[in-house]
Amino acid sequence: MKVSELVQSTGLAAINQYQDKEIESVYISDMVSDLIASAKANSVVITLQTHKSLIAAANLVAAAMIVIVNGRKPSEDVVALANRTGIGLFSYDADSWALAKKLVKLGIE
Amino acid sequence: MDPCTHEWSICNVRHGYLVEEFCYECGGRRSSFSAEPLPPIDKYREGHHYWAYLASCQTVKFDLKCGACGRTVNLNDVNGLMLSECMDRDCQVGALVMQQGPGALVYVAICPNTTHSTGKCVSEEGIEALNQYFQARLAPAGRKVTVVPCKLCNSIDKCRGTSIADVGLTDIV
Repeated sequence: MKVSELVQSTGLAAINQYQDKEIESVYISDMVSDLIASAKANSVVITLQTHKSLIAAANLVAAAMIVIVNGRKPSEDVVALANRTGIGLFSYDADSWALAKKLVKLGIE
Repeated sequence: MDPCTHEWSICNVRHGYLVEEFCYECGGRRSSFSAEPLPPIDKYREGHHYWAYLASCQTVKFDLKCGACGRTVNLNDVNGLMLSECMDRDCQVGALVMQQGPGALVYVAICPNTTHSTGKCVSEEGIEALNQYFQARLAPAGRKVTVVPCKLCNSIDKCRGTSIADVGLTDIV
């Protein structure tokens, strides 16, 4: 499934312009060091974090997109860094578990 | 020259704490990895240094293993990575940052003792393996990163950048 298809199926709100690419995995974490050690390339990264550190870590692991849950919004400098890395940033109103259930229903595991 | 075109993957993942210390005498900072949940908070003297506990945070450490030749590179001497936004032309890292094109970023691998008083920093083989590992992941996306050791920074404590650390993640900045 591509990023654009996932956005349409789950109602994610795009925060920046994103590159449409194939999603291969999902990783849920609120620790940036954990992301580097465990997230796979082309992952959907689901997190509560809105810190710049998140983008620096997601860039290193070649994440496909970042979804910030519970309706949280990152600051402008975080969005600017995401734009530099080409990583799509999205906001989701409900929590990580609600989004995880949707992803499983869509066949993404 | 190494005959193997390495296929690095992460191994030996270790969960613990990054404990940061500050020296009252020289103003230097250093950090260590601890698997213990309680950091040492007593001040102590070590040669000319007088170290005191500064902060700690949860962290994850790992090594890299090549799936082709079986070689493992120990990354014990990497205590963190920082995305550099240095704009100092007189700093080797800053000069490198300003040379980068779109989609290319520079990360500084931070060693345990950023005063470099012992002359040690992140090993060359560690830097080489990190570069190869991250580049292999990012190349299909048309992105590039360069990882450099912190000894190339004029001052890692004053350097402008974003540390990938699980501390201050709920701060305003």
